[in-house]
Order: sequence, then structure tokens, then C-alpha cells
Amino acid sequence: MQHNKNALKIAVTAVLTAVVVVFTMIVRIPTAKGYLNLCDVAICFIAFTFGPTSAFIAAGLGTALADLISGYAQWAPISFAVHGLEGLLIALIVRSRNGSEASIVKKILAGIVCMATVSLGYFALSALFISTVAVAAAEIPGNLAQSAVGFVLGLGVSSAVKRAYPPVRSLSW
Amino acid sequence: MNTSAFVAGNGWLYRFDPRAKILLMVLLCIFFFLPITLLGLFLSVLLVIAVGWRNTGTKNIKGVFLSIAPMLLFMLLFSPFNVRSGEPLWRIGAVTIITVEGALQALRLACRFIGITYVCTLLFATTVMGEIMLALRFWRLPYKAALVVTLSFTYIPFIAESFSQIAESHRLREAALEERKNYIQRLKDLVPTLTSVLVVALRSIPNLAMSLEMRGLGRSERRTSYRSLDSYTRLFTDFVISITIVTMLWLIFKA
Amino acid sequence: MAHALTINNLRFSYLSYQERSNEPLFCDLSLSIEEGERVLLLAPFDMGKTTLAKIIGGVCPKYFPGTMTGSITLFGTDLSTVEPWQLLTEVGYVSQNPAEQFIATTVEEEIAFPLESLGLSRAEMRERIATVLEAWGLAHLGDANESELSGGERKRVLLAIQQALSPRLWLLDEPFDDLDPVWRVRLKETILAGGKTTLVLASRYLADFADLFDRVLLLDERRIVALPLRESLSRFSTLCGDDKPSPLLDQTIEDQRRTTLSAGALAVERKRRSTTSTPPFEMTVDSFALESGELVTLTGANGSGKSSFSRLLCGLDEPKRGVIAIDGKRQSTKELNRSVGYLFQNPDLQIFLPTVEEELSWSLRRRRELSSSEIAERVGFAADLFALDLGDTPTTMSYPKRKALQAAVYYLLDRPFYILDELDSALTYHSALSIMASLRQRGSGILLITHDRLFAAKVEGRAYTIEAGRLIER
Repeated sequence: MQHNKNALKIAVTAVLTAVVVVFTMIVRIPTAKGYLNLCDVAICFIAFTFGPTSAFIAAGLGTALADLISGYAQWAPISFAVHGLEGLLIALIVRSRNGSEASIVKKILAGIVCMATVSLGYFALSALFISTVAVAAAEIPGNLAQSAVGFVLGLGVSSAVKRAYPPVRSLSW
Repeated sequence: MNTSAFVAGNGWLYRFDPRAKILLMVLLCIFFFLPITLLGLFLSVLLVIAVGWRNTGTKNIKGVFLSIAPMLLFMLLFSPFNVRSGEPLWRIGAVTIITVEGALQALRLACRFIGITYVCTLLFATTVMGEIMLALRFWRLPYKAALVVTLSFTYIPFIAESFSQIAESHRLREAALEERKNYIQRLKDLVPTLTSVLVVALRSIPNLAMSLEMRGLGRSERRTSYRSLDSYTRLFTDFVISITIVTMLWLIFKA
Repeated sequence: MAHALTINNLRFSYLSYQERSNEPLFCDLSLSIEEGERVLLLAPFDMGKTTLAKIIGGVCPKYFPGTMTGSITLFGTDLSTVEPWQLLTEVGYVSQNPAEQFIATTVEEEIAFPLESLGLSRAEMRERIATVLEAWGLAHLGDANESELSGGERKRVLLAIQQALSPRLWLLDEPFDDLDPVWRVRLKETILAGGKTTLVLASRYLADFADLFDRVLLLDERRIVALPLRESLSRFSTLCGDDKPSPLLDQTIEDQRRTTLSAGALAVERKRRSTTSTPPFEMTVDSFALESGELVTLTGANGSGKSSFSRLLCGLDEPKRGVIAIDGKRQSTKELNRSVGYLFQNPDLQIFLPTVEEELSWSLRRRRELSSSEIAERVGFAADLFALDLGDTPTTMSYPKRKALQAAVYYLLDRPFYILDELDSALTYHSALSIMASLRQRGSGILLITHDRLFAAKVEGRAYTIEAGRLIER
């Protein structure tokens, strides 16, 4: 019989959202100034492995929840939009119909899009609604670096997970 | 790890109906962007902070301020330079450094930033997550969306705990005292740890889906709700108060 | 009397993610249970007991992919025509591992969730929830979070849900595990008083509860057999390897090292989770010693501080007071990290890499002095010793295999001391003892932590226990 897998969709989205929250809040690599968080690693992993819908919701919701929990509630809507879009775009670029690995060109393109979305997205929305153009512009280099590191690690982690846990294929929808 | 921004207390903000509180929050955020006098904006923000201080205590108010302080400082230092026209406030020789308009603009942005921050923080500091979800359901958030948020809150501590144990176990597996590792090596070492965390998280997905269905998610009966906001008895009054506050502020302070 | 559950010629094998296909777990398995009957099904660990429970609950192969043939009828309904949520009041499943069944943020909401699915009124829910919270001693934990509960409390929450829903078939996987004696008796009384059809699955036989069951069945060679009780039990212990001689007896230890790990005047502070208001609890250790080649057991109730003590010994935490030394020399936490191997109860937290071979060679490759042929030789030896296949993917291996892999990783690290945390949970005594013997092969001292006194008794050697916040030698 045709099984109705609604619960699976909910479970996948919820767990992936929690993964994004944890990667954003817990895993921090100290840098010269402040911290780099790893939300982009989780987002890239999800985009590569689970496809556009899951990537959009988990990335957007996860980073927004992380903002709420850590007391930066004012950033939550912006994070939702920027990271949600990031996840969605990466997933759309690397998506393939026959389940084959994305080509290197697509991966590079996805990487550029990832960095551009994060840095420009935060710049535009933060300049418009929260801070000012100058402050928002100062954040660009940090966001670029963070998303670049995140994307590269995300690639590594995605292929490692596919090898280490083959059943992951049966989870995507 | 603590997944809640809630601060225990029993001030009037805690007793305010969450459904109305969400409305009040949204209206206030919009209000901060309306054309109002700078003094008006300043006084409104001060009012929000005062209410927050009465309800959540000095420590919380200070904490919120400290968290935004670096950003605020940066804003006050750099944004005045953006406005080049207008009456000079400070000049070196013939060069105008800061104009009056620039300074006023910076103050307005800073006030707005503080205002939005406190309004958002206060909602989450004075309302438990479960009630925020119920209130959002009242505002037509679909059940499944609310369920996803609730479920991810139950999974955050589990994944965070797994992460810390996996990182520890990685530490216990190092062969000998290793020399200080460079940056690239540290990042590379992170891949197996992150992979392992993801696998642990992914493995829990089928179990979660199984448990949801075994607990009856998907049944044809209309789902009832055990929790309710019935203990808040003044929904209508609180709606009226929310709308009145923002309307009054607007009427008094509009430019 | 009507049949509650009938299984005819069930055959099931999990989907394989490698070239070769998986062996079937069940072949021609048939079972029939009458309404109102109470049945105990004994099955050695890892023989498909939990899979069978998930099949009966309708969620396998739906969420745990595999191929299944045969027919299952539950209260007259063909199981293949219904979805799991339609079985809410038909079959209630209590998992062996309660954590995997939690879905809500608090205990009260956990119990409420299935009642909400039934569409019960709020008043009705309130009444049922109050009753079962009271019955399972959870009234003070209504607002507690799942992560704040002990293993026993989690199990009681699941049993409370079961009672609140009161389904027609109670499907209980190791329900007595983790429960303190008083709650074991309560469970027995509840089952007797409820009069529901009950199928209990267990991998260890509990003689105390023998009179609870109308029948005892055995999962043997992929099918269910019914033998007279005495024969069932003797066959069961053969299947579990309980009658094999302990591999620890007459073991010759290759390397005679002479080192001693010791701890004196230690104080351990165990922090409770944030929301419970109870003050932090302190545990003290007056003296503790573990020598090379020695087997020492540490027993104590759930939450008595066994894990906190282990974390100090292997240098994951700093002691609040006191000294940990090796051969009288005080050790820093970093040094302890490298002398005391700590095998977590959950092997999945210590397995990182896609194949057994990569997993085993990971730390060897980081040692510059080893050539690749030496590495291959050591890895091959360890794989043989622990009966592992180098090409396997760890995450899809069975639990005993993953446990063996975890041990093999530490074997290759060649630490002078090992701490084994609840090694015997979900392993037969024989496989647990074999792992201990292999780890001791090269003269390491072993501290075994367990809450199972029966298993501790099988390990001859000194024994420590924790009572009222003090670690003492018995």
C-alpha cells in the first residue's frame, strides 16, 4: 500500500532544525576577532543531502530559533530569511534528477551563491531594518569568511555522512 | 544546555495574555519605524526598558544591554559620518566631520535598535515557549508548524549533549600528546566529529517518526489540546490595552 | 476465545546497504496469542526481538526498511491494511530504550499527546493524566523535561502513557529493565489487574516474575518455539552462551606490566540539571586502586555517581579535591586522557568513520613512527581478535558488533587502564566477558561499571560500590 509518510516529513524537519540550532550555538571556533559559528556547515549538509524544502525550513527556522534562544530575538526574522534563502538556493543548484553527485562547476557555483547570499543578505536587511549601512558593511568580511569555511567543511561532512550512514537516502523526501 | 530565554517572574507583563502580547510586540516594532519625534522615540524606548526592568529585573535588563553594546558603540561611532549635508557640528579646519543631522540620525538609529531589541527580548523573557506556541496557533500558525518547532526544542538538548560527548571521546582517542595543531588541521579534525554528530541525529529520525505515528499523529479525529491559554481571562481587555498604548504613543509623538 | 495476535510465516530481512544482502532475521515465524493471555517471549540480544515488536506495532518496515512476507492479524484486522496511528488503542508499545519514544517537552505533555490524538476533552485528559502520574510516582515530575529524568523514571512515564491509553494489546520490550524493585512489583500488579493481552519481550530471564505469565516462548533460530519451561530456559542459556566457560578464567596475560592507578581523598561534585532546585550532590572517594591486569567492578544504583567518578579517572573532568596518580605520580587531566581509556555505554558516540578499517587505523595513522604495513598488520590483528570485517560500515552493523568495534579501537590505543561503562547492557554476558578478556590480553587493568549485580558476580576480583555518596570497597 501507498504509505503516508507525513510523520517522516515532520521528524526530518524537526531534527534538522535542531541540528542547525546546535551547530549555530555550540560549535564555535575562536578566531582573531570573536567566534565563527558553524551554521553554514549544517545548512550546506542539509542542502546537499535533503533538498530544497527541508533546507529552506531547517536553515531558516534553525538559525532563527538560535537567535531567539541566545537573546538576539531582533535578528531572528533576518536570519530566517537569509539562511533560509541560502539553504534553498544551494539545494536548487546542486539538485540532480537522477541522484548523481553534483558536478564540480555546480559545487563552485553553489559555494559562491552561499557566500553571496549570506553576506549580501545580512548587509541589506540589517542596513534596512536594524542598524545602519556602515555597521552592516563592516560585517561583510566576517560573514564572507564564515560562510566560506562553512561551505568547504559542509562539502566534506556531506560526503562523509553519505558514506558513513548509507540509510540517509531513505530519509529524504 | 539552556534552550529557554524565559526569566521567572510574576509582574504584570507575565499576566498579560500572550495572544495580545504578540500583537503589542508587532505594533511596537512598527511604531519605531513610523515618523515620530526623536524625543518621542527616546521616551517610548525608555518606557519599554522601564517596563522590562520592573518585570524581569535588573540582571536581565543589564544582560540584554551588554549583548548589544558592541554593536551599539559601533553604530554611534560610525553612522554620523554618513550624513554629509546640514549644519556642521564639529569641524577640523575647513572639513566638516559631523553634522547635526548626522548626529541626530545616529541617535535615532541607536534608539530604534535598542527599542526593537528590548521589545523582542521581553516577549520571550516573560512568556514560556509552550504559551508562545499556543498564542501563535491562535494567530493561525498551522499545527504541524508548531509541532516542528516544539519537537526541535526537545531535540536540541539531545544533539548538544551528543556533540559534547563525541568531542570528548575524540579527545580520548588521540594517540599521544600531539603538538599544537595548526588551523587547517584543527578544521580537518572537526569533520569526523561533525559527521558523527550528524549520524547520531539522523539515526533518531526514524524513531521520532515511528513514535509520532504510534502516538496517533495522522488520525482522523479532530485533535484536541491539553494545554490552553484559558488561565488568561482578560484577552479582550489586553487587546484593547495593546492597541491603545501604541495608538496613544503615536498620537502624542508623531512628527 | 478470539485471537488477539496471529503471525503466520513471517519472514523479514533488513535492507542491505552493501553488495551482499542481509540474512533474514525471521524465517517462517508463527505466533498466536489469545485475547487476555500474558506471554513472555525470550530472545537473546540482537536476534530481532525489537524488530518483531516494531513489526507488530506497524512501523517496520515502514520506517526501518526491509523485505517482509507473511501475514499478521491484530484483533481480526490485517496489519498490512492499517497505518500505525489507527492502532493507537489497539496496541501500545513500550520501547526497550525509552528515550527514543519521547516527543514532548514535559512529562505531562508527553502523556497528553496520544490523548489529544484521540480527541479527548480537556477534563477527561486532566483526570486520566492525574491518575497515571499518581500511579507511577511521577506527580512531582509533571513539568520535568525528558533530559532531567533517570532511566527508571523514563520507563515509568512510558508505562503511565500505556495505562492512560489502555490499549488492547500491551507490547512491552524489556519493561522491567531500569525499574527499581517497588516499580517492578507495581508493573506486575498493573498487568495482572488490567486483564489486557500482554506480550513481554526479554533478553534476560527474571525468575521473580515467572508467575505473571501464562506461557513462555523462545525465539530460536529465526522462529518462535514453545517448549516446556525448564527446556526453554536451558535452551535459552545455551543461545546466550551462558553455559560457555568464562573467557576470563585461565586467561594468560601476554604482557606483565606493573602499574597502579590510584585515587585518594577525591571529591566529585555532581551537578543536577538547571531546572531542578535540588542542591549539587557530592560524592567522596577515600581510596581507590586499580592495578595492571586486574579486574575490578564498580556497582551502584542509577545516578549514584558512577559516571562522574569515571569521568575523573580518565581526565574528562577535574576533581573538586584530591589526587589521581599512576604509580604514585600525580597525573594531569591531559595525561589521564592518554592512560585511561573510557568506553562509553553508547558506542555510537565513539564511532566516527565510514568503514571499520578507517575507524581502526585513524589513531595509528597519526603516529609518525608507524609504517603503513605495520598499521595494516595491527588493524588486521585487532579485527580478527574482535571478529570484525574491515569493509563493513559501522553505523549499519549490529549493536554487539558496534560495541566490539568500540573496544577494538581502544585495544589498538593500548592504554594501561580501561573503564567499561555498562558494558553488559544489551550484550549477552558471554560477549561482554569476551570483550573484557581481549582488552585485558596485554595486561591492562579494567574497571567494569555495571548496575547488574548478577553480571558483577561473574567477574572475579575486587569490588567497589557507591553507597550514600561514598565509594567503598566491599
